[in-house]
Amino acid sequence: MPFLIRVLKARELSIVLFLVGFFILVGSINKEFITGDTIALLIKSSAILLVMAIGQSFVLLTANIDVSVGSTMGLSAAVAGILLTDGYSLWIIVPAVLLTGVIVGLLNGLGVAYGKVPSIIMTLGMLGIIRGTMLLFTEGMWIEDIPNFYKELSGAAFLGISLPVWIAIVLVVVCHLYMTRTKSGRCFYAVGDNEEGAVSVGLPVKRVLVLSFIFSSVSASIAALLFVMNIGFVPNQTGSGMELQVIAAAVLGGVSLTGGIGSVIGAGLGAVFFTVISNSLVYLKIPAYYNDAISGFLLLAIVVGDSQFQTYIRNQSTRINRNRQKGDSKGERQTTTIT
Amino acid sequence: MKDKRQRLLKWEFALVVFLVIELFLFGQLSPSFLNLNNLLYSMNDFVYIALAAIPVTFVIITGGIDVSIGAMMGLSSIVLGVLWMNGINIWIALLITLLVAALAGCLNGILIAWTNVQPLVVTLGGMFVFTGIALVLSGGSSVSGYEGISGFPYEFVELANGQLFGIPNPIWILGLSILFFSFLLHFTRYGRNVFLVGINAKAARYSGINTRLIIMSTYMLAGFGGGLSGVILTSYFSSARSDLGSEAVLPIITAVVLGGTSIFGGKGSIMGTAIASIVIGMTQYGLQMVNMTSQQTNIVVGTMLILAVLLRNTHWQKLSKSLSIMKK
Repeated sequence: MPFLIRVLKARELSIVLFLVGFFILVGSINKEFITGDTIALLIKSSAILLVMAIGQSFVLLTANIDVSVGSTMGLSAAVAGILLTDGYSLWIIVPAVLLTGVIVGLLNGLGVAYGKVPSIIMTLGMLGIIRGTMLLFTEGMWIEDIPNFYKELSGAAFLGISLPVWIAIVLVVVCHLYMTRTKSGRCFYAVGDNEEGAVSVGLPVKRVLVLSFIFSSVSASIAALLFVMNIGFVPNQTGSGMELQVIAAAVLGGVSLTGGIGSVIGAGLGAVFFTVISNSLVYLKIPAYYNDAISGFLLLAIVVGDSQFQTYIRNQSTRINRNRQKGDSKGERQTTTIT
Repeated sequence: MKDKRQRLLKWEFALVVFLVIELFLFGQLSPSFLNLNNLLYSMNDFVYIALAAIPVTFVIITGGIDVSIGAMMGLSSIVLGVLWMNGINIWIALLITLLVAALAGCLNGILIAWTNVQPLVVTLGGMFVFTGIALVLSGGSSVSGYEGISGFPYEFVELANGQLFGIPNPIWILGLSILFFSFLLHFTRYGRNVFLVGINAKAARYSGINTRLIIMSTYMLAGFGGGLSGVILTSYFSSARSDLGSEAVLPIITAVVLGGTSIFGGKGSIMGTAIASIVIGMTQYGLQMVNMTSQQTNIVVGTMLILAVLLRNTHWQKLSKSLSIMKK
């Protein structure tokens, strides 16, 4: 039972179950949905959201939020697009785009950690600033004629997996290892779980906060590089509304907005699930304008259902704890694995 | 409590001073800016922000947030349009629309008050659902999202474009909204309960307040505000579109927070939100007069939001601290 509770508590598992269930459901209606090609395509199209969800989960883990990522992606895409059309080499472009992310993240982080501005206000303000800057920078124009060599990169494949997907996979693995295996990675959990506690045990809380915002913005810049690669041009509204999808994806994957709970794997799975939902409608022959309604409904259903379920599980485990306090030896053996 | 109110009054005063300086500066930059008629009619461009932001103040005072408000505006616009298209009298359609918007807010509120899910997540889901329903409604009635439903009767279009005693109608509506919601928040038991929930929800619950009902009702008010704002916007453009208000969330929350409402709850005022909306609107209008596009003014609005909170966080606290030291 306690082992079962622990497994049930892991949100990654429930999202995988949902994903498998959803695939079977849609696949049973339209067999084309479960072919390898479709799945590869789905994963490829989720790469952008996935990369951003990974970055966002660092911020969410520290009990903050970054709603500026969509506009950061837009600005980074514009920087990438302009440098590409001007014919610079990738050795200059990639660092320049990533630097854009670092600067935005640094500003967000400094404002939140040192200026004590609530993160939603800080990043909401930055959203406006960055979007405006992007439009000033591009003069409101679309950037077209991206050189072909760059667009072709998105088709480049190794072991049958395309470059954007490789980037996403590597990022998930690296971030997961960093978060779970290193001391500085675990700081994010500590800060989000109990900030004052983290201060009193001497963790560099402010630095961790700044770093989390930098990770989030840089992930948006990486996503921008993938976006330009995939789409081949930069519309002037690139990335608007993305921030909400990213947060929805991370939340779907079990990252808690109150901090301390969640994982990058969960956030990544959430992003894949989010993309799968919206792309599956084609296979169900439902018009595309049902997209938002269905995604929103599923998001609410999953999040609300999960919260009710977790409350139930928590009540169950406190009952076992209470049994232990009563001196019930059987209960004691059961709870040792939880606590 | 009195100290808090005094500080809030000071903040509203600071906003008014800022507004006057702003008007003066823009007046210097372009002389036609200060033409009274221009000023009054320019208000039409942002009255909808204030109409939506005023009830959202209630939500933020309880410590919540509502990001679905923009979607609510699009939804109510398209509901109004579809109802009217199907031959329902425009005024009855308007009432039904406001009811639908309040119900949509109520749905947000129920989920937030009766589950452990954070308001941001629920209203985020709500945002997708409402945008989605609006798209389905406009798609289902074969109106492409960007064309919209037009050809509304003259009386309805006059709602936002007409005037009464020389003052544009939207300003009357805004005035009524300010009066009504100020009364509700600052002079009724309900309003006091909203503050109490924001200051300490547990204490409020133990003192016998039905906190869930209070929280739910604030989202309902916000929904109603979004609906009203959507209706006015529909009348203003005389066309119903599902994407109306999709960019309104940033200015709405900016108006509430700039108006002195704490994002952590427990503090805020309707007057503050209203004045802040006018400040933002005048900034946008003034910058447009000096040839900036509305998207570029995002930079200014965003900076204002961050600076205002920074100022309130550091400067005001230090000031009150040094004052208390002086008193000793």
